[in-house]
Amino acid sequence: MDSIYNSIIEALIFASDDSLNNSEIIKAIKGIDGKDVQISPADVDKCIDELNTTYEKLNMSFNILRIAEGYLFATKQEYAKYVGFLSSEKSKRRLSQAALETLAITAYKQPITKPEIESIRGVNSDYILNTLLEKNLITITGRTESVGRPLLYGTTPEFLKYFGLNSIKDLPKPREIEEIMNDEDFLEQKRKIMMNMIEENIQEETSNEANNDIDKT
Amino acid sequence: MYKIKLDQFEGPLDLLLFFIKRDELNIYDIPISRITKEFLEYVNLIKLLDLELAGDFILMASTLMHIKVRMLLPKEIDEKGQEIDPRTELVQALLEYKKYKEVAEELTFFESNQRKLSFRGNFTADEKESLPEYETLLRNVSIFDLAKAFKNALARIKEKTVHEIKKINVTVDEQMKFIMDSLSQKNEMDFIGLVSVLKEKIRIVITFIALLELTKMGQIGIKESSNFNDFVLYKLNHG
Repeated sequence: MDSIYNSIIEALIFASDDSLNNSEIIKAIKGIDGKDVQISPADVDKCIDELNTTYEKLNMSFNILRIAEGYLFATKQEYAKYVGFLSSEKSKRRLSQAALETLAITAYKQPITKPEIESIRGVNSDYILNTLLEKNLITITGRTESVGRPLLYGTTPEFLKYFGLNSIKDLPKPREIEEIMNDEDFLEQKRKIMMNMIEENIQEETSNEANNDIDKT
Repeated sequence: MYKIKLDQFEGPLDLLLFFIKRDELNIYDIPISRITKEFLEYVNLIKLLDLELAGDFILMASTLMHIKVRMLLPKEIDEKGQEIDPRTELVQALLEYKKYKEVAEELTFFESNQRKLSFRGNFTADEKESLPEYETLLRNVSIFDLAKAFKNALARIKEKTVHEIKKINVTVDEQMKFIMDSLSQKNEMDFIGLVSVLKEKIRIVITFIALLELTKMGQIGIKESSNFNDFVLYKLNHG
């Protein structure tokens, strides 16, 4: 494949706010250059790897991620504090334990009805489901044929984006969990996350204090 | 008795798992009577605070007690002649819940990582939603959104109010006779008592007019009642 396509694909992904998938990229290229252009999803995928290697070499602050079966530019973790300072996303709150539990159940067992979710959690989940629907992390995918025709819930592409997953298949396998939980690496990572949370809290507090100071003057 | 922070638990299963973990119990061999006792202590505490949440806990408490009773009874045997452990269902539920609880923890890790990345377009993310572009309007719309919108639209249509008027044949003369008949039995009568047998508003109105008419004619008199908001009619006997 012509290396010019690397740049074209880069431009397409760069210009897109949302995760751009293979078929859209190929459609755009064939739409302009004609149907005879030989380009397959595998070519696009290889191209992404090449682009990322280039960024790595040049020590760029961003790379292309595979999210929701598409591609998306994202800044690297190192710059999170600075970007977050200006970005509206920084105010985003973390999901609650209840929300994460409900999401996990929905993600693995989708399509799933509310009573099924509630029977696993052992608690009423009305409120949580509504919150997740509002956040567009889950959606109604249909109805069952069983008595009362209850609604079925499933996850959205937004869910994949939120957790940085390429597809539902990339969710951690429940069976492996036990091992993961006892894994040294995971414990180390978990410790790091805890540290990050503490750091963020301190940051928030200090910035709040700073704001208060401004208010006083 | 030590205290447990209440909002730490997402539900009864979570609380049970907490007991199991804290006391390093074998999940396949739960000491039901001990756990039931602890669970009930917690339920009594939570009942004081949050009745709605307590419902789920009370349900679990009764399940636990049911299991406890079944444990005391002679062992039940299934078709294959094997003993049924009354705890099996609970253990299954606990394991199932535990599985997802752990996945949720794992997801927290993903969430945490992902929060550190920023995608393009984030700085304008807030305003973007207010731009009603034709194509973005149709994105993420499912049949259920349409159905919901349709339902909302229907709900917004104001119901046409139709006033149906039922003609009630009642005349002042009739009601004058009604008053006089009522008064012939007893000499005094309060107004509220008089109209209490009447069902329609219009009849009461007409009766009131009849009453005024009779007063004008000097057939009856009206005087104050001891009851506030009421008055008394009495028959005038002349000639």
